[in-house]
Amino acid sequence: MNKHVIARLGALFIMLALAGCASRMGGESIYVPMGGETRTQDAPAPPQTSEPAPEEPQVWRKSEQPETTEPETRTPSYRESGDQLPEAALTLIRDADQYLQRGDTDGALSQLERAQRIAPRSPEVYLKLAQAYVQKGNLDSAEQFTLKGLSLAGSNARVQRAGWLLLADIRRARGNVAGAAQAEERAAAL
Amino acid sequence: MGRSLLRILFRVGLLATFLLAGWVVYLDAQVTDRFEGRRFEVPSRVYARPLELYDGASVSAAGLTRELELAGYRRGSGNRPGYYQRNGQRFVIHTRGFLFPDGEEPARQLSLRVSGDQVSGFSVVSGPSSAIVRLEPARIGGIYPAHREDRVLVQLSDVPQPLIDGLLAVEDQNFHEHIGIAPLSIARAFVANIKAGRIVQGGSTLTQQLVKNFFLTRDQTLVRKANEALMSLLLEFHYSKDDILETYLNEVYLGQAGNRSINGFGLASQFYFGERLKNLDLHQMALLVGMVKGPSYYNPRRHPERAMARRNLVLKEMAEAGLLDARQADQAQNRALDISAQPSYNDNLYPAYIDLVRRHLARDYRDEDLRSEGLRIFTTLDPAIQQASETAVRDTLPKLVGSEHLEGALVVTGKDSGEVLALVGGRDPRFAGFNRALDARRPIGSLVKPFVYLTALKQPERYTLITPLQDKGFVLEFDDGRRWQPSNYDEEERGEVPLHRALSHSLNLPTVRVGLDVGIPAVQDTLRAFGAPTPIPDYPSVLLGSLSLTPVEVAQIYQGLATSGFNTPLRSIREVTDANNQPLSRYSLKVEQVADNGAVHLVQYAMQEAMREGTGRSAYNWLPEQLSLAGKTGTTDDGRDAWFAGFSGDLLAVAWVGRDDNRGTALTGASGALPVWSEMMARVPQYGFSPVVPDDVQYHWVNVGKQALTEEHCPDARFMPFIIGSEPEDIYDCGGAVGREIRSWFEGLFNE
Repeated sequence: MNKHVIARLGALFIMLALAGCASRMGGESIYVPMGGETRTQDAPAPPQTSEPAPEEPQVWRKSEQPETTEPETRTPSYRESGDQLPEAALTLIRDADQYLQRGDTDGALSQLERAQRIAPRSPEVYLKLAQAYVQKGNLDSAEQFTLKGLSLAGSNARVQRAGWLLLADIRRARGNVAGAAQAEERAAAL
Repeated sequence: MGRSLLRILFRVGLLATFLLAGWVVYLDAQVTDRFEGRRFEVPSRVYARPLELYDGASVSAAGLTRELELAGYRRGSGNRPGYYQRNGQRFVIHTRGFLFPDGEEPARQLSLRVSGDQVSGFSVVSGPSSAIVRLEPARIGGIYPAHREDRVLVQLSDVPQPLIDGLLAVEDQNFHEHIGIAPLSIARAFVANIKAGRIVQGGSTLTQQLVKNFFLTRDQTLVRKANEALMSLLLEFHYSKDDILETYLNEVYLGQAGNRSINGFGLASQFYFGERLKNLDLHQMALLVGMVKGPSYYNPRRHPERAMARRNLVLKEMAEAGLLDARQADQAQNRALDISAQPSYNDNLYPAYIDLVRRHLARDYRDEDLRSEGLRIFTTLDPAIQQASETAVRDTLPKLVGSEHLEGALVVTGKDSGEVLALVGGRDPRFAGFNRALDARRPIGSLVKPFVYLTALKQPERYTLITPLQDKGFVLEFDDGRRWQPSNYDEEERGEVPLHRALSHSLNLPTVRVGLDVGIPAVQDTLRAFGAPTPIPDYPSVLLGSLSLTPVEVAQIYQGLATSGFNTPLRSIREVTDANNQPLSRYSLKVEQVADNGAVHLVQYAMQEAMREGTGRSAYNWLPEQLSLAGKTGTTDDGRDAWFAGFSGDLLAVAWVGRDDNRGTALTGASGALPVWSEMMARVPQYGFSPVVPDDVQYHWVNVGKQALTEEHCPDARFMPFIIGSEPEDIYDCGGAVGREIRSWFEGLFNE
């Protein structure tokens, strides 16, 4: 299959996957260092000319995402799906799309890698990276990023479906017919 | 007669003119050669990663302030580029704009709040609107031309105006008018010197001083003076005033440290104040200007009174020249000298990190290009995490047993990006010496165990987390008659232990048994797939970590354990551009699946258990219980090496503590390296580790001792992951009966 076709299909799947996501903040709760304001003051360079900030409340934010089945503390943690995309990452992904439309895959990759650093646990970012690599003609990287995205998709059926279909197309383009069929089966089973 | 005299005179004159012309050509070649060599080599600039600001970004208010100051921002009203305003949690930042390799980030005025270490209410007040904005990256160092390694080169545009004004006012008032020499000032100096009966004034222009600096002989003969004057004229003929001034600023002699001379204002600023030139205050600039006249006579460390008097004279002259008003001059005169206690010799804030960057670059660039082509190198260094890491090493090592001989190293990477965020190569992070993070290759001890168990768990039909293992001593006899008798760290034997506990409590005997059962070659394959450099030893002691790696190499192989089985090559550089922002290299994020996600998930369970119940649990003396972490301790014989490698949701970090002479210590991974690791983690806002359950994994309540499924409310019930199909078939209900599985109520809860 022509790689432009895959890229277009990939884009379609991913837009499906992206539909309805984007939260203000990604993920669950963030750890806030105890008294981080004062503890960092004894450090050497660079010079600190500002006065210490008023003590900030030590809070635990919970995201707007539905609570996952979180086992009580002290036992190993896990969750059922990756992070939702924060708004900022979505902005960068849209920028990347414009680069892709202009055929500037390196420009797109730059923006997507920024998005990846912001949302390293969001599966969509990796699928989008895979799409950019398809367009660049690097199907090996495209397949790996698809697999990485899938490993974070968890119970998110929409992302799972997009990922498996993209993987099927990439594998078929690489001549891996059996692998492609397998991936399609996975998508169909969802 | 008259005619022949004239002819002789003419001939002599002609000859003299020829000779002079030849001499001028010779001098010209000399001086331009020297000048070109100085002028047109531009060092590479090394940048930290830019801070990304957006709603939800993790950054503390102190961290943001520090980041702004590192990038040269000043506190003020926030409505001029390069200034910021802070009001409690609220920040207004006016960015300067920056040309990144992927395009221009325009100057903007931003408004945001930082609370609970997160950005909120982010908005662009003026400038092109965007949900995410990058600050200019902080410059963290330079890579200098080899013969000018002893310079901190400054560009004219980076030199504060008061310093230039002061320098010209004191040393060469007519710099912008004269042609290289100033006969008038020479005459004036001559008169002044005769009046005083000694030398009180020098008539040299800056250009002459620069020439003098190029050819360092101190004799004051007439011929030399003439040469100097000629060369000065030639320099002025060839080059612009700005070129000459910039070169002067980088060449002028400003002091001596042993047999090393301090040349240039950039290095002098580091040497005397430990500060970048552009960060100096007026009184500090005045001191440097004053020292041009006699760096050793006015040495502020040796002769503070002389230096102070000279500085105040400079300030007075600046005021008289109308460069300062009386109040400014007065205030500056009342300041102390503010000399730094320790001389520093370069502007590389993070020498160990720059060392890593140089080694990465050495694969693709010639050394002389790095040093002279003015490349822009965009690294992945995170200044906040670097600072947390340096503090953790510096503050923790002195508290450990036997601390005076201990050294340490710490590597922090982005868990899913493979970016090296921070690197500490020893207990003095400013010292550019032996870089232990890159060069201390030590046996990794129990850090190898997750790879042994991963190799086993890849075979779910044979191994699960609850597979009972023999914790009993045994002897291996080799063909050549040698014997090997491994034992546990505590010398105890526990009989039968489940696999997850053998890993979380780092028991040696079951590990060796499992390793021998799956085969050493299979374990080697796993290690190689995860990026361990070859060769990997093939004797059984490799199962207990006789393999030697550097801290950075350990970080590399743990990358695959910390993610869902994806190896992510470590990177310290994102991009390199030439001086005109033309991209030269991009180092992209790469991922490669090297292990089944499901098997890795099981290992991650046991590594989390190590933090909760096993060898890593003392981490929670520093860290809150709510932060989930996974990790592994490592200790080698006689405590020679104390290791800890572990990860949160965002960060992967590897700490090593030991002695340079490889002698034993009283430390273990938990008592030596884990405190360093935890101290760093405690200082960085981050998400906990909570891996997504893979498709082929399902959690079940099990009774480990009975090897059976059970129910949550039953005693000794544990909720544990199994690769689907490998969960126990027996059921243990609390009544004590064990039966066949009936479809439990929670099945189907997780896979719709």
